[in-house]
Amino acid sequence: MNSKPVLTMREAVGRYIPDGQEVMIGGFAFSDPTAVAHELIRQGRKGLYVMKTSGGVLVDMLIGAGCVDRLLFCHVWNSVGPVPAHCFRRALEKGTPQSVEVEELSYGAFTMALLAGACDLPFMPTTPVQGAGHFIERTFLPNKFALVESPFGGGSVCVVPPVKPAVGVFHVHRVDRLGNAQLFGPAGEMRYSIAACKKVIVVAEELVDTEEIRKRPEATVAPGFMVDAIVIEPWAAHPTDSYGYYYRDLQHNDLYGEISRTEEGFRRYVDEWIVATGDHRGFVAKLGKDRVAELQLRKEPW
Amino acid sequence: MGNASSFERMLITGAKRIVDGAVLFVGFHWPMLMARVARRLHAPSIVVVYENGIVEDRLTPIFPTSPCDLTAAEQATTCAGSLEALYMWLGAGRVQMTMLEAAIVDRFGNVNTTAVGPYLHPKVRLPGSGGGTELASLGRDLFLVSASSNRRSYPDRVDYITSPGYLGGRAERDRLGYKPGTGPQTLVNPLGLFRFGDDGEMYGAALHPGVGAEQVRASFGWPIKIANNCAVLPEPTAEELSVTREELANARARSYLLPQE
Repeated sequence: MNSKPVLTMREAVGRYIPDGQEVMIGGFAFSDPTAVAHELIRQGRKGLYVMKTSGGVLVDMLIGAGCVDRLLFCHVWNSVGPVPAHCFRRALEKGTPQSVEVEELSYGAFTMALLAGACDLPFMPTTPVQGAGHFIERTFLPNKFALVESPFGGGSVCVVPPVKPAVGVFHVHRVDRLGNAQLFGPAGEMRYSIAACKKVIVVAEELVDTEEIRKRPEATVAPGFMVDAIVIEPWAAHPTDSYGYYYRDLQHNDLYGEISRTEEGFRRYVDEWIVATGDHRGFVAKLGKDRVAELQLRKEPW
Repeated sequence: MGNASSFERMLITGAKRIVDGAVLFVGFHWPMLMARVARRLHAPSIVVVYENGIVEDRLTPIFPTSPCDLTAAEQATTCAGSLEALYMWLGAGRVQMTMLEAAIVDRFGNVNTTAVGPYLHPKVRLPGSGGGTELASLGRDLFLVSASSNRRSYPDRVDYITSPGYLGGRAERDRLGYKPGTGPQTLVNPLGLFRFGDDGEMYGAALHPGVGAEQVRASFGWPIKIANNCAVLPEPTAEELSVTREELANARARSYLLPQE
């Protein structure tokens, strides 16, 4: 098999996520590839259609920075505390800094829609939501749910159409040059989400030899033939956690939740933590050696 | 040690509903604390599953800040995914009790975690469903948890049904084809325990000591009924209170915001 391009985050975002791009961002409040959001903000991206099952600080920042026109999601919040996702709330309640068109699926329905996309099936049965808000309120996906009569008896079944994102970017633990990407711990919807995307970028904590991949083949969430490009970016998922690599950074969640209460505070966060740091290495340096040591679980490379 | 606060009573009453050995689907926030308290007090053999696919069958050394805080997975026996958790375990009926926090809940047990006011122009935009829709649509023995006794948390009809209760009444839920055995069974809040009648309407079933009918009626946005045989729940024991306070201290140390008493 051919090697896949190993790009810097700057190159990958520049090449695959231009203005107006439809992009699925992986992670479910763990393994959220925050470093991608930082780079999108640094490059001043506009007009994105973002798909994300669990939108936390990552989605909140993209909205606050005015990168997002459309959002498909299951929830957006800062689950530490919990405290509100302030930028998300300002955009939806007041239209600042700009309004965002939103469409929502429950987590199960989103999982099934991605599974249909991944398997190239016309629809999947899903959670019954008849009579509930998700069934009634529809915005830019007017066909997000339908009822079909089961051909095998037993009444009507709620179904979802396939979701096939144009591009997906996913945080994983380790990858080889062939693109074989591995994730340990719970996977949420990630396997289906990766397979549903037409192009896939993986953001890995480590680049490892293929022989290392062979030792734990059950951890491969994307075989190399499904991957288009590789970014190696340690701490890419901070402040969310990365199983076996580092803990969730509660202090940073608290800091973000507090500073983003006002638009002015949010802009200060962007200036200090995203723009001034230059790249993710700079961001990690700003976190500081002591903080990194407290959060770090895996101290040695594989 | 001092008397239990109404919030602590809510946590203890909720924890005591958990049966040892049961498989529980535990949603975000106070249900997680209740499960920890129950595991330490009377239910060491419960199996807790979370929406991301974690199976947790013993007390984790660190109190997770949410089901997706991977400290919840540190002692796990299974790390699977959302298809397993939401459909193979919850939907297929392998979970015996489903615990869901209900910030805003109406007469028929419909839960709103999406928006207050019109959906497209919300007065207050809340996070949205996550897997909360699945818990209410598919979960057996659905147990709703609310830390509020404020009337704004109990409107006659929610503005958006994020997690379906009995919709406009039990007959509507049945007619729309939800599985038998699903739908809210119980709600606990600082006032006591509430159940759902044959028509799907919530009513007071047992109250915490010192809580009167007038206080209950003032806390709900419709003329809530209270059972004729409405019981008074027991005072927490010293052990129940001390374990709950230890877990609340653990929660605070993990950045949980605790209600102001």
